[in-house]
Amino acid sequence: MSVFRAATLVAPPGHWLLSLGAWRVLLHRRGVMAGLGLIAAIALLAGLSLASGAAGLDPLTALLAAFGYGEPMHVFLVQELRLQRLVAGLLTGAAFGIGGCLLQTLARNRLATPGVIGIDDGATAFAVASIVAVPTSLAPSALALTGAATAAVLAFGLSAGAGARGYRFIIVGIAVGAVFGALTNLMLARADIDAANEAYPWTVGSLSARPALSVWLLGVGLLLCLPLVKYLGGVLNTMRFSDSVAIGLGVRLTAMRVITLITTVLLTALAVAVVGPVGLIALAAPEVARYLTGHRGVPVLCAALAGGALMVAADWAGRTLLAPIEIPVGVITAIVGGPYLLWILLRQPSRRLT
Amino acid sequence: MIQAGKGARFSLSGALFCCVVVLLVLCFVSLLVGAGEVGPVRSLHALLSSGDGEARFVISELRLPRTLLGLVVGVALGGAGVVLQSATRNPLAEPGLLGVSAGASFAVVLAIGLGASAATLNLGVAVLGALAGCLLVLLVSQVRGVGDDPVRLVLAGAAFSGILTAISSLILLNDQRSADEIRFWIIGALAGRPQDALIWSTPGALLGLLILMPLIQPLSALALGEKMATGLGHHPALTRFGALTGVAVLVGTATAAAGPIAFIGLVVPFVARRLVGPDIRRTIGVSLLLGPSIILFADILSRLIVRPYELPIGVITALIGAPVLIAVVRSHRIPTL
Repeated sequence: MSVFRAATLVAPPGHWLLSLGAWRVLLHRRGVMAGLGLIAAIALLAGLSLASGAAGLDPLTALLAAFGYGEPMHVFLVQELRLQRLVAGLLTGAAFGIGGCLLQTLARNRLATPGVIGIDDGATAFAVASIVAVPTSLAPSALALTGAATAAVLAFGLSAGAGARGYRFIIVGIAVGAVFGALTNLMLARADIDAANEAYPWTVGSLSARPALSVWLLGVGLLLCLPLVKYLGGVLNTMRFSDSVAIGLGVRLTAMRVITLITTVLLTALAVAVVGPVGLIALAAPEVARYLTGHRGVPVLCAALAGGALMVAADWAGRTLLAPIEIPVGVITAIVGGPYLLWILLRQPSRRLT
Repeated sequence: MIQAGKGARFSLSGALFCCVVVLLVLCFVSLLVGAGEVGPVRSLHALLSSGDGEARFVISELRLPRTLLGLVVGVALGGAGVVLQSATRNPLAEPGLLGVSAGASFAVVLAIGLGASAATLNLGVAVLGALAGCLLVLLVSQVRGVGDDPVRLVLAGAAFSGILTAISSLILLNDQRSADEIRFWIIGALAGRPQDALIWSTPGALLGLLILMPLIQPLSALALGEKMATGLGHHPALTRFGALTGVAVLVGTATAAAGPIAFIGLVVPFVARRLVGPDIRRTIGVSLLLGPSIILFADILSRLIVRPYELPIGVITALIGAPVLIAVVRSHRIPTL
């Protein structure tokens, strides 16, 4: 059939067709542009973030120092302090962004982010427990994972009977989150003052207290999850139709749901172990990604980039707005993201994520 | 003559009697036990005869004011909860969940941050903040589609509280002096309050109840729907506004006295409805007794769980309240009140 000859293949409108020998890739034009734009934004923010700080380096010096040129003191400052912080911010933001995007699509509700349904609180409670009780450097990540999994299982399990109405599920999540918040307070009240002070940054969400090992674990986890996440994005895109259509198209619904949930919990927990509960990134990043890509498909990768950009931007704002006082990144996101959450809630009459 | 409502398990007088008994027992226990060394037996001796001085001091100077404050705060929060649910016709409405408590505590944090010293004008400021929170609830519930959906109102309240909490912590970051002052207060506890807290919070609670008293009848009519209430000669908008003002006074008083304590306003009406049915004319009396009972119960637990330390009472109320919240949400169809 001559119709299927390679020479006659034309990209559908709004797409690019890249051909390399027998390999062909169809790229969604707007999605690619959004991704490139986000990467440019991240580069800009990274420069700003590296150049600003209490030491007062000018941007050029800071950039040179980031690559190892310049005075040893400056190199140390930028590479050891600011660069690590930047990397931690990018990784956590990406993890929150992916987690939010997956869960929102899975629950078909843009408010159903890990932070809102209590996964963040569960991870925080357990991470605080690890600091207060087991002061080793591996413990926060491992325990945050346990806590996040517990919270997710509780929220989903308890809302199982409540039917498909998304908002009830969220309230169950809020209740689960309240319990874990109370447990966190309980532990902070029982702990001695030094341990409580050490654990405090977790409860607000701050990039200034990131344990190096947790950052490494997050980086590895993110790297391993990325291919899976990209795959899940495609599957979730099919699952946005009704269940019967998805089954007809060959999606194993239950298995995919469980895998999506596990991935979400894993990424969120690893990120919380680094930065604490900065849940609103998970709400805003997918929103930004969907807007930029023109509400097409499930933009997990763009959500990751947007999350990283938002986190770095929030951290930069927190460091510079009231310098020399540092505003924790969690406070910044809550002040900016809270009104946004309200706006979504009050403006959006439809319940569905389309 | 108030008829027994559908779903009532007990007669009104029976339920009231049980609540009074429970409350008296809890008051007594609250005087007897504590986190410190003065145990129940010593306390009992001190109460019955003029026992040793230390026990008598602990009871009269520490436990008695605390118990009384618990009674006032409990009455205020219980009453506020049942009226707020009735005024918004929402079984999930709770001053803490809807952001009224957050408004009150934010106002206090702001006042302290601006230089006011803690105890003096807390009450007025907290009432103003609670009023702002109530107005917001009123506004939000007018938005199309949100007022009829119990769950979205709660979500909006959670978002609102989140913003206020974040701004509060910003103020705390800026100002170390107020941070120390506030951190103690914002946890929510009955212990360690200034002695005069009781003196100014009692009139506050009474004022709030006085505002609400004439509104009980209209609120009960409002449960039949706006049109029916208008037909019966009530003014729904006016009733709602008055009710929310009363709630603001009550919540502001309770918050100024004991800090933000969540979930009481959810648990109390929930239990009260189970006991005597959904009519607010029946539940209000039971709620005014149940509120202090639950507060005292939580307070007693908070002294005993981690002896010799004490827990913030908010931890206990959250642990009691969250399951109730889940139970309400899980119920097959959320009943509109």
